[in-house]
Amino acid sequence: MSVALPTSVDEVVDLLVRNPSATLLAGGTDLMVEVNLHGRRPTDVVALNRVAELRTWSVDSSRRTVTIGSGVPYAEMETGELARLLPALAEAARTVGSPQIRAAGTLGGNLGTCSPAGDGLPVLAALEASIDVVGPNGSRQVHFADFMVGVKRNSLRPSEFVRSVTFPLNDGWQGYAKVGTRNAMVIATASVCLVRTNDHVAVALGAVGPTIIRANGAEAWLAANHRMSSPPSNDTLAEFGRLVREASRPIDDHRSTAAYRRHAVGVLAQRLLTRSYS
Amino acid sequence: MSLVGAKVLRKEDPRLLSGTGTYVDDLSPAQCAFASFVTSAEAHATIDAIDVRAALAIPGVLAVYTAADFTDYPDLPGGLPTLERPALARNTVRFVGEPVAVVVAEDRYIAADAVAAVTVSYSPLKVMTTIEDATAGDSVPLFPRHGSNVITIVPTMDDLEKELAKCHGRASLHIVNQRCAAVPIEPMAVLADWKPDGLTVWATFQAPHHLRNYLATWLDIPQMNCRVVAPDVGGGFGSKIVWYPELFIAPVISKLLRRPVKFAQTRTEAMMQMAHGRDQVHDIEVGYEKDGTIKALRLIVSQNLGAYGDPTGLGLAVLTTWMAAGAYRIPKVSTSFRTVVTNTTPVAAYRGAGRPEAAYSIERIVDQVARQTGLDPAVVRQRNFIPPSAFPYETHNEAVVYDSADFPAALAECLRIVDYDAVRAEQKARRNDPSKPLLGIGLSCWLEIAGFGPNGSLEGFGHLASWESAQVRIQPDGSAIVYSGSSPHGQGHETMLSQIASDELGISFDRIKVITGDTAAVLQGIGTMGSRGAPTAGSAVKVASSRVLTRAKRIAAHLLEAAEEDLEVVDDAFNVKGSPGKKVSWGDVAWASFQPLRIPPELQAGSLEERLFQESPNFSYPSGAYACVVEIDRETGDVTIRDMVLVDDCGTVINPLLAEGQVHGGVAQGIAQALYEGVSYDSSTGQPVTANLLDYLVPSAADLPDYKVGRTTTLCPNNPLGAKGIGESGSVGAPPAVINAIVDALSEFGVDHIDMPATPEKIWKAMKSGGNS
Amino acid sequence: MTAIGSEIYSLNVNGRELPVRDSWIGESLLFVLRERLGLPGAKGACEQGECGSCTVIIDDKAVCSCLVLAASAQGAAIRTVEGLGPDGRLSDVQQSFLDAGGVQCGFCTPGFIVAVHHLLDGNPDPSDLEIKEALSGNICRCTGYGRILDAVKQVAVSRRSGSRGDSKEGAR
Repeated sequence: MSVALPTSVDEVVDLLVRNPSATLLAGGTDLMVEVNLHGRRPTDVVALNRVAELRTWSVDSSRRTVTIGSGVPYAEMETGELARLLPALAEAARTVGSPQIRAAGTLGGNLGTCSPAGDGLPVLAALEASIDVVGPNGSRQVHFADFMVGVKRNSLRPSEFVRSVTFPLNDGWQGYAKVGTRNAMVIATASVCLVRTNDHVAVALGAVGPTIIRANGAEAWLAANHRMSSPPSNDTLAEFGRLVREASRPIDDHRSTAAYRRHAVGVLAQRLLTRSYS
Repeated sequence: MSLVGAKVLRKEDPRLLSGTGTYVDDLSPAQCAFASFVTSAEAHATIDAIDVRAALAIPGVLAVYTAADFTDYPDLPGGLPTLERPALARNTVRFVGEPVAVVVAEDRYIAADAVAAVTVSYSPLKVMTTIEDATAGDSVPLFPRHGSNVITIVPTMDDLEKELAKCHGRASLHIVNQRCAAVPIEPMAVLADWKPDGLTVWATFQAPHHLRNYLATWLDIPQMNCRVVAPDVGGGFGSKIVWYPELFIAPVISKLLRRPVKFAQTRTEAMMQMAHGRDQVHDIEVGYEKDGTIKALRLIVSQNLGAYGDPTGLGLAVLTTWMAAGAYRIPKVSTSFRTVVTNTTPVAAYRGAGRPEAAYSIERIVDQVARQTGLDPAVVRQRNFIPPSAFPYETHNEAVVYDSADFPAALAECLRIVDYDAVRAEQKARRNDPSKPLLGIGLSCWLEIAGFGPNGSLEGFGHLASWESAQVRIQPDGSAIVYSGSSPHGQGHETMLSQIASDELGISFDRIKVITGDTAAVLQGIGTMGSRGAPTAGSAVKVASSRVLTRAKRIAAHLLEAAEEDLEVVDDAFNVKGSPGKKVSWGDVAWASFQPLRIPPELQAGSLEERLFQESPNFSYPSGAYACVVEIDRETGDVTIRDMVLVDDCGTVINPLLAEGQVHGGVAQGIAQALYEGVSYDSSTGQPVTANLLDYLVPSAADLPDYKVGRTTTLCPNNPLGAKGIGESGSVGAPPAVINAIVDALSEFGVDHIDMPATPEKIWKAMKSGGNS
Repeated sequence: MTAIGSEIYSLNVNGRELPVRDSWIGESLLFVLRERLGLPGAKGACEQGECGSCTVIIDDKAVCSCLVLAASAQGAAIRTVEGLGPDGRLSDVQQSFLDAGGVQCGFCTPGFIVAVHHLLDGNPDPSDLEIKEALSGNICRCTGYGRILDAVKQVAVSRRSGSRGDSKEGAR
């Protein structure tokens, strides 16, 4: 086994080209569990923690976007300027694991693992973030909807990795909510990100399907039947909740039943919509 | 000033705070090898073959052993003949995680690789994880020699049908007290070093002498050559009293390899291999009169033992049935139980061990009587309490005579602190305001059995005896060493026993050292469990210390040429009352005690030492009144504990800092059982689905409420300290308070009961279906 | 760029550069601290970041050392519980745990001590909720957290009133 400690994106690409089977180490919150508990013995590890470029974020005011390096830990998204720019991401970041996990865990790691319960992912889906993927042939932008293709499956090609995630900035409201059995350190049994702009509400659902689900039906119904400038009526909320539930495709597992997950995403979406007017 | 009763800071803390405490896995002797176990991937199967060749080929692997290498050693006791447990599975595996083979390597990464390289082929047998499955018509016996999965049955002589039928009303509940894991933060760990002149085993264990006693027998070596040390122990809660196979295998490997051998569980291993607790199913029924007085109680208990009959596991239901009537004077009580083996991790003691189950069911059914009569739950309790004047109180079981209590006073204090009437008024107002969360208040007037125990009691759980030992030894400079056979795992014995010894001896707290946990140093011992530390070990130290003082006074009187009865001990010195300045220091007395020319002729040199085995005439019975106020999200079922009031009566409090710490911790575990925790298995495969801390939800600081603590005191008349013990109180008292509060909040939906853990999902379902979850 | 096979590398722990010898390159920082560097203060209790017993500070961030590949922590400043107290004395946080009764079995304690130091160094006046959230990655099975929270509040107050000398600066 070897551990490489590259300091630039180019070096990472070189390493991956030379050894496409090398394992990337981001925050360690997934890989090290595999090593500690599941006997995983990667032969070659490329640790990303020294690649400064991956650990920075920036605002492009002309394009009205924020680009966050794949190695920025969740802890940095919880407060400060990033939290002001992307409040839903901040809310999601605060629910990731524990403070120790958030100090280490990154968006890049979340995207590498692509668990449907990954806390940051519904925010990427609702905000229609684009993912900057780097590989031997340069970089390409992948829409989040095309990036996550199944349970723990993404569309990265061999020797590619995530450099950054770009979020569009908007003047609307955005929020994130999650339910789980306890307050801290809990894997979401259901999570929702809602983004409301002048003419549209985007809703993305986590942990209720093989990938993050956009509640397209609910979004379209709201756009057609709800005046965005005023708070929703009870009837509107009820129908919105129903359509959100309908969009979900949850399963039963030992953490929750499908029925409760479906119910919960409806409640969370309704509450977020209500909150967006308060 | 008396130290007993004072808030004294802990002696043991500086080392623990600075990371210089010594837990088993912190020990790394030279040449230490690391053992790791190949464990069963099947819940019930026969072993066809074990192939260890690939593992042996890995560089750094020293050896791999299977049951075939342990044929010289007997099986471990299973509580009853025919239920013995092989140290390594032989022919049959009975639960996922059961050790099948052991790998020894240079370090734990290599050992883990080697474990993965061992191939075991199995032929699956029928998997039965529940009492229902294990007793169904198509069940197969886990122990063919025993014939049935029902291991013990204690039937009732009278099902009380007649008495119940005569009553104004009957209330019944089917109650599942779910399986829990103790989850000490330090998992099981053992280090064995077999030397030509004897074996030393360091084990994270609550009862090192108890381990030594059987380990020596099992290894067929004299106890004098078998030293067991429990160094700093990172929590236990009952799970570290069990004779786990790993503790026996490590010494054998050390002998074979002639190297020290260490084994330390991963959390997943701990979740599968350390004994679980609870896992009882109750059918409880009472008959009551119109005024809420309960006339008859019937409790039928089924205990899931897991895959092997642990001696303690077999006794849990006994304790449950003993405590069936709780704090109430119920004229007719009938209990029965059966114990059943299943393809799950063995069940043994977990904080409370049999008593939380009893308290939970009686406190739930009392609330159900309140529900059915329309009376306030506090009133129903008050009408049924055993009055303070009725103690000692003989219960339905002759082994159980409650020592002392004042239930009405405890409940009154609890209601005062929680401001009961105000909460009830707020609840009434909330009913008409759906914009606010549901509000509920729950009470628990619990009582438990502790201070284990009178002669014969712990013997029933496989222990040597039920006393506890103390040895008090004065050094020539007047400092003292106190040895106790009760070795702690977080309770603060060094502090607690020093306080008691200091008061008795008149030696200052800082000049007393407490030594526990080493069979080579402590004369004999039983251990720390059953809330016995203060009542038994504390009393032993008190009596031994007072005997030493008596002799010290004779020496002091001799030196001062004064009468013994004129002496008092103040500030590490013996003073003649009324003669200021006429005194001799404890150091001088101690020094003289070793000099034959300076002591009274009837004393011998070295007389300032006392060894004592303190027996108890009875158990002790801590009790209390708890109240819990919850808010429930009407849409998600999410529960928030708004208030948790804890009024405890543990008799004499040695140190409020330690006592309240025990209450907080016990209550946290009780809340955890009520809201979060539960071990579960895939019922078709027997695979555990909660074998890590991501799926087994031990609460964090963010999940638990602040605690409001109160106290009432009735002394225990059965030990010199008057102490009742407090280690398990919180875990006994809290679950019914929380669940009663939740059921109270859900009453408008017609919900009579909700099983633990009351997850948001269960509560949501209960609200939706308007009935039992 | 550095590439490492199985040769010696070094870690900066509590201000000292310590060589790591005879190790497998995939070892966790927790394992290396305990088994290679003789610093057993950080405890292993879940090996998946769920209990916080192994918490250390790396470059001013509190992380679970079980989830850190030791070899990737070269060049970083690592602080463990052994490096918090000034001159072998208890730090103010440690003393406050003692005073408040925040210790029982002690196994989770070093992780809590490190996490609390980290919290108060970044936020000298945390609210009750902030304390609970900051410590939500540290599991204690003994105390029910009541005394631990008291200890944190007490040390925060005494630091703000400057009544103790061995605050952040002293502990470094």
